[in-house]
Amino acid sequence: MKTYAAACVTAAAGTGAFLESALEGFRLKFYASAGAFLKSSPRGLIIIDAALPDMSGRDLVAVLRGDKKTAGLLLVLTGAGPYSPAAAALSLENGADEYFAFPPDARLFRARLLNLLARRGPGARAAEKPAEYSIGALKISPEARTASVGAARVRLTALEFDLLLYFLKNQGRVVSRTVLLERVWRQGLEAGPRAVDKRIEALRSRLGKFGSKIRTVFGIGYIFKL
Amino acid sequence: MIPLPKVLIVDDEADYLAIAAHIAAKAGCAVITAAAALKGVELAESDPPSLILLDVGLPDISGFEAARRMRRIPALARTPIIFFTVRSELDMVSEGLKLGAAGYVLKPFDPDDLSRRIKAAVFPA
Repeated sequence: MKTYAAACVTAAAGTGAFLESALEGFRLKFYASAGAFLKSSPRGLIIIDAALPDMSGRDLVAVLRGDKKTAGLLLVLTGAGPYSPAAAALSLENGADEYFAFPPDARLFRARLLNLLARRGPGARAAEKPAEYSIGALKISPEARTASVGAARVRLTALEFDLLLYFLKNQGRVVSRTVLLERVWRQGLEAGPRAVDKRIEALRSRLGKFGSKIRTVFGIGYIFKL
Repeated sequence: MIPLPKVLIVDDEADYLAIAAHIAAKAGCAVITAAAALKGVELAESDPPSLILLDVGLPDISGFEAARRMRRIPALARTPIIFFTVRSELDMVSEGLKLGAAGYVLKPFDPDDLSRRIKAAVFPA
């Protein structure tokens, strides 16, 4: 049998013990923090705990996926249980190849990692973007620039679509009005914070029951949370 | 009465400064703020905090340079610093963590994650 190697970035003793047992026969190398891991030369399969002492695993995945030197790594994110479909979807949308709530079933965990290695091989990952974001009945296609709730198409202006996409890519994170003006409006800050509020109101109303998922935070920003 | 642990937040973006200040206050900390790096270094030196949240792209000197200057001040040599930034490039993250940062949080951030990190830094188990 081929011997595989994996880097495991976790500070949790329980996770380490699980990985050693479930991945018996693998060459495992452990790093207790993102900082220690980044001093190495990352290659192949990387298993990342969502809660690292110095960084969130989700941020580390985004950083690795965003750099051309590390974009081809196989990235597996592990979160504290119980399993949440929203956390799993978000992890995959943010660039992880697999997501597991800990502790997963050891046999299933091993089988899925072996499949991943066999299909893609370390370093063979193409930079893929999800063809469609799906949150319950809400579906968004970045390619076709369409959104729908159930069978009904949601009619959005180009700006509203960009706003919705930005929220989806940053689920669970506080997004300030300034950042929305910079990243979504693009022409800069001239539009002003009131323009953001008005457009968010319009987007909420067009999204029907999903509109309430865009919540106001402390009166200065927004968060898209399921 | 036991004084609240003090958190210094240095960020030139008023929105993020306000959100982080709100989260730190809710976590049980007294908050002091600065909108520029040199002011942050000055405040930290005159009244050493328990934790420093430091943006990287600041108008005068970078957050990394500010962290280096803080580390040279004996009272701040071991103060936890969490970088708090939009700079997500691998080289930047590596540099920040090599400076001995207790954390590196990307903006936009998860408020629960930031709150957990503040509490872990100022109320270590």
